Amino acid sequence: MSRASILNAIKKNKPESVPLPEIDLSLFQEDIDLVDIFSKNLESVGGRIVSSNTIEDLDGEIKKRYPNAKHIVSCSNTSQLATISISNETQPHSLESIDLAIIDAQLGVAENGAVWISENNFIVRALPFIANDLVLILSKNAICLHMHDAYNLISKRDRTFGLFLSGPSKTADIEQCLVIGAQGAMSVTVFIV
Amino acid sequence: MPHAKEAELFNNDEAKVNWHDQALWFVRNKRDKAAHTVKGWEELRNLASAIKANVLSNLDDYLIQFEENAQKNGIHIHWAADAEAHNKIIHDILLKNNVKMVVKSKSMLTEECHLNPYLEAHGIEVIDTDLGERIVQLAKEPPSHIVLPAIHKTKEEVDVLFQKHLGTIPSNGDPQYLTNEARKHLRDKFLKADAAITGVNFAIAETGGFVVCTNEGNADMGVHLAKVHIASMGIEKIIPQEKHLGVFLRLLARSATGQPITTYSSHFNKPTEGKEMHIIIVDNGRTEQLGREHFRSSLNCIRCGACMNTCPIYRRSGGHSYKATIPGPIGSILSPGMDLKKHGSLPFASTLCGSCSDVCPVKINIHEQLYQWRQIITKDVKQPIVKKTVLKIAGRVLANSKLYGFFGKSARFMLKHLPKSVINSQTNTWGKARDLPKVENENFEDWYKKRKS
Repeated sequence: MSRASILNAIKKNKPESVPLPEIDLSLFQEDIDLVDIFSKNLESVGGRIVSSNTIEDLDGEIKKRYPNAKHIVSCSNTSQLATISISNETQPHSLESIDLAIIDAQLGVAENGAVWISENNFIVRALPFIANDLVLILSKNAICLHMHDAYNLISKRDRTFGLFLSGPSKTADIEQCLVIGAQGAMSVTVFIV
Repeated sequence: MPHAKEAELFNNDEAKVNWHDQALWFVRNKRDKAAHTVKGWEELRNLASAIKANVLSNLDDYLIQFEENAQKNGIHIHWAADAEAHNKIIHDILLKNNVKMVVKSKSMLTEECHLNPYLEAHGIEVIDTDLGERIVQLAKEPPSHIVLPAIHKTKEEVDVLFQKHLGTIPSNGDPQYLTNEARKHLRDKFLKADAAITGVNFAIAETGGFVVCTNEGNADMGVHLAKVHIASMGIEKIIPQEKHLGVFLRLLARSATGQPITTYSSHFNKPTEGKEMHIIIVDNGRTEQLGREHFRSSLNCIRCGACMNTCPIYRRSGGHSYKATIPGPIGSILSPGMDLKKHGSLPFASTLCGSCSDVCPVKINIHEQLYQWRQIITKDVKQPIVKKTVLKIAGRVLANSKLYGFFGKSARFMLKHLPKSVINSQTNTWGKARDLPKVENENFEDWYKKRKS
């Protein structure tokens, strides 16, 4: 049987035990403006930022940026723009023509412009990928410095499915020319509130 | 055919070689820029290297822990000793679920196992969904780079390929148009596929979960629409704890393309209700490599491709010249372990400059291992008679200062006085496609003596 033969071969061939290193976070500590660096990094990976100072009416701001969106799913209590409601019974294939999905982000990571979103935030796993455009709502107090802090913050979660998402879907597979909008969302706008 | 001969074929089109060289060097530069903006980058590399060393020394325990935790979460675990077992397990799962068409995101392991031809021979359609992989699949070619599978193709070639297979209109290779057409084409496949296959970037022993990284979102489009998700992983993809992802995800994309992180880093822990999730843990020669003291750290590779982008040989010979699933420097230390005879020329496809080791995010001493493989290969595999004789003579000359002085003088004399047609003739490999340097009258020793007096 493969299992036993693999494990036996490892036992026979592995080197002597080497200790697991500790991660010393002081090596990576930086005193920076988290919102500012997060925004710059998100823009550098093709994402858009709308920051809190300019928002009076969130839904109005979203509409302004996505005026043609008709089929809208909102999984956020802060937006009332939904035209289609979903539940965990929703078939992912039925989301094929969703123009815009609005999702609460749990945290942002300054070093790479990524946000963490999990199944709890978007109910149907396919949603953030199959929707044509994506709006993410992120609290400015929920931005951390780097991935070490991020994993610490999500360590107590209920582990089902979640992801770090950094900007829109992209590819450079044709002669290294960057094209935004490969198989996932064509645009990502993060509203920092 | 040895690597050098394959490289010669690639070099027939000089303009394309130059483009390939520059395109990859550009990616290497992006990597440098990204690395330099991270505080503690070198410490991150040290950590990654040390974590991986710990993994190898406890690999069996971590795999058992991973299996136990994954099963608790309703994930099916399978073990495959070799490529054949791997392919058969996948085929069985697909049969049970009555799958006719499967979408697959990037997985070098399934390339290594030749999964596509196996499934196709059994009447199952396989669609590669990474754009670069789809391009090479349509062209009936293997990927030439592990991160940039179609880097050897011009946009005009892609244009022709898409006209033929996707019915696009001629666009002179407009990347925006072609990508958009591929998006429509692949959407249709995602919506119709019954199962999705992905690779695994990292599997976490502590949680039984795994992470898949893509920029296009193709892995997620596949798995969240299909009812069955099958993930293939080599035994070496294990990391001990989730917090270690913090180290590896900071390194991976920066080393690969210079991005701060891939667009999507998806964390799978449990299947959606009513759906199946399978993981296949594959050996296929890895435990053997684990037993080779000098080469085991090659298993630490996280498949970023940085060693390829920086390698002066890879950039000028193209991925296909290696005739191995993983090309470039890392492939050249992995492949000889799989088949010493077939891949025996690869460790010689290097200048031993060490740039690969310098950029490696997990600090594999790639160039030293290339050298080590040469020591084994020259003993175990028959070398060409010319190479053997020349090296024997060189050995004698270099060991004898008088002989060395004589040959040096003769070479300088000839380089100075012989006509170019002789110097750059067929027999002088060094004179192929390049002018030899201007020679001085004296050697270093003479110059040094004169300088002293």
